[in-house]
Amino acid sequence: MTLVTVKNLTKKYGSKIVVNNISFDFGYQKCIALIGPNGAGKTTTLRTLAGLLKPTEGTIQFESSTTNQDIRKWIGYLPQYPAFHSWMTGREFLIYSGKLAKLTKEEATKRAAELLEVVNIAKESQDERISRYSGGMKQRLGIAQAIIHKPKLLILDEPVASLDPIGRREVLGLLEKLKQEITILFSTHILNDAEEVSDELLLLHKGQIIESGSLQELRNKYQTTVMALQVEDEIHDYQTIVANLNHVRNTKIERGTLYITSDNVKKVREAILSLADQERWPITSFSIDQASLEDMFMKVVNN
Amino acid sequence: MQWMTLFQKELLENWRNKKWIWVPLVIILLSIMDPLTTYYLPYIIEATGGMPSGVVIEELPEYAPSEVLLMTLSQLSMLGVLVIVLISMGTISGERKSGVSELVLVKPVSYMNYITAKWVSYLLLVWVSLFLGILVSWYYINILFGTLSFGDFVTTFFFYGIWLTFVVSLTIFYNTLFKSSGLVAFFSILSIMVMSMITKIFHHILDWSPNNITEYIIDTISTGEISKDLILTGIITTALSLTLILLSSQFLKRKEMAG
Amino acid sequence: MLDINWALLAPLLIIQFILVVVALVDLIKASDTNGPKWLWAFIIVLGNILGPVLYFIIGRRKD
Repeated sequence: MTLVTVKNLTKKYGSKIVVNNISFDFGYQKCIALIGPNGAGKTTTLRTLAGLLKPTEGTIQFESSTTNQDIRKWIGYLPQYPAFHSWMTGREFLIYSGKLAKLTKEEATKRAAELLEVVNIAKESQDERISRYSGGMKQRLGIAQAIIHKPKLLILDEPVASLDPIGRREVLGLLEKLKQEITILFSTHILNDAEEVSDELLLLHKGQIIESGSLQELRNKYQTTVMALQVEDEIHDYQTIVANLNHVRNTKIERGTLYITSDNVKKVREAILSLADQERWPITSFSIDQASLEDMFMKVVNN
Repeated sequence: MQWMTLFQKELLENWRNKKWIWVPLVIILLSIMDPLTTYYLPYIIEATGGMPSGVVIEELPEYAPSEVLLMTLSQLSMLGVLVIVLISMGTISGERKSGVSELVLVKPVSYMNYITAKWVSYLLLVWVSLFLGILVSWYYINILFGTLSFGDFVTTFFFYGIWLTFVVSLTIFYNTLFKSSGLVAFFSILSIMVMSMITKIFHHILDWSPNNITEYIIDTISTGEISKDLILTGIITTALSLTLILLSSQFLKRKEMAG
Repeated sequence: MLDINWALLAPLLIIQFILVVVALVDLIKASDTNGPKWLWAFIIVLGNILGPVLYFIIGRRKD
C-alpha cells in the first residue's frame, strides 16, 4: 500500500528550478530520509508535500485523495527553524495545535499531557512560557505539535541539524520510537543521522532524485571497500608501490593514512601482506572498512 | 469550533501583551484631552504667564457641545487611527515573518477563520476602547459645555465605530500583502491620507466616502436628526470593510505560506 | 479666574498613572526589550502619555 505518491513534481521560483521533475512513492510505517547537500531542494520538496507551497507542475497524491481534498489533517510538519507563539506555555501551544487540527478540547488536553511526557519535556517546564525553552526543548515541542492530531505522515525538515549531541541523541531516539506508528519523512544533510534511523533513502541533488532505495540495496549497489594502511616511516614512499599493484583503483593519503580502494579486496590484501613480509614494511596498522554513507553519496553524485 | 480556538488565542495574546489594558486607556485619554484642555484654556494661558502685553482678548470663544465632540473625533482620527494601525500592523505579517504561521496553517485551518478571528478580535478591542472613550468624552462635554443627548452618544459611538472598523479592515488587508509590519503601517496610513485627499478634491461627487463619516456625525448631532448621508456612508464603509476582509482571505489562500 | 475642579481632572491623572505603572511592570518582567531597559524606563516615566505608548509599540519584544 502506498501512502504518498509524488509524480513529476517540479517547483520553480521565477526561472530558477529548485525541484526538477521528481517522482517517488512510499508506504506505511517507514522512515524515509531525504538526503542531499544544502541547496539540493530538500526543504522545498518537504514544504510542497506539507501543502505550504504549490507545485509548479506535477501531483502529490495522498492515499487515494483527490487534489481538492484538504490533506493537511493527515500530515504533521516541523520546519527546520520552528517558531512558536512564545508567549504561550508549552502545554498551551500543544492544546492550541490540537484544537486547530479539530480535536475536541478534552482530546487535545489529554493528548498534550501525553505528548509532553513522550517528548520528555520536564514537569516544571510544561507550564512555562516557550520563550524560556532551550533549542532542544523547542525542537521536541515542535515534534509534539506535529503529531498531536495523530497524522499518518510526519514531515521533519532537518530535525537534528541545530541540536547539540545530547539533543540530537534524544530526537533520533524519539524518531526511532515514533516510526513504529507513523510514517516519517525527514531531511538531513548529515548522513550518519539518516543511517541511524531510516529504512529508505532518497538522494536529492540539484533538485533531482539521483538514487533511492533501502539502505541495504544502496550498500550492495555502491559497495566499495576501503583499506587503510599506516606505517612508521614516510607513507608517501609506499603510495607509489601500492598504486602500481593490480586491482588497485585509487589511492589517497589523509592524515598520514594511505587509503586504498580496489575492485578485488582479496588480491590486493594478499599482495600488500606478502610485500610487507618480504620488504619488512614497518606497518603499524592495516584495516579493511566498509564505505560510509558519505562515501557512497559522493560516489553517486560524481557518477 | 476552530474559529473560537483562533479567536480565543487572539484575545489571550492581546491580554498577555497588555493591549487590552493600554489601548482603552490611551483612547480614553485621547477622547477627553480636547474637552478638558479647551475648557481650561483660559487657566492654562494664565498659568503660563498670560497673554503677551498688548494682546487683549475680550473673551475666549464659547464652544457648542457638538463642536467639542468634533474635536474629540478629530483627535481620534489622527492619533487614535495611528494607534489602531500600529497595534494591528503585525497581526499576520509578524506571524508570517517569524514563521509561526507555518505551524498554524499547516494544520487544517481555514484561511477565512484565520483572518476573521483576528479581525473580530481587533474589532472587539477597538469598539470597547471607543465605547469607553466616547462615553467619557460625552460625560465631560455634558458637564463642561452643555447637553448632548444619550442618542447623540449612541450615534457617535456607532457610526464612528464603523469608520474605525474600516481602519482595522484596511490594516488586516495590508497584513496579507506584506511581511514587513512597517510596510503594513505605512500603506495603511498612506491609503487613509490619499482617500482623505481624494474625498476633499472630489467632494461634490464622493458624497458617501468613508472619510466623510465624522462630518455627517456632527451634522446629525447639530440638526438633531440622522441624515440619509450618514446612513449611506455607514453602509458603504461597512461594505468596503467586508470586501477588504474577503479579499484578504483570498490573497492569503493564494499566497504561499513558506519562503 | 476659573476654579480648578480637581475631581474633573483626577481621571486624567489616574489613567496616566496606570499607564506608566503597567508599562513599568511589563518592562521589569520582560526578559528582553528592543534597546536598553534603563532607556525605556526613562522614556516611560518622562514621556507623558507618549512614553508608555512608545514602549508598548516599539520597545516590547513580541513574545
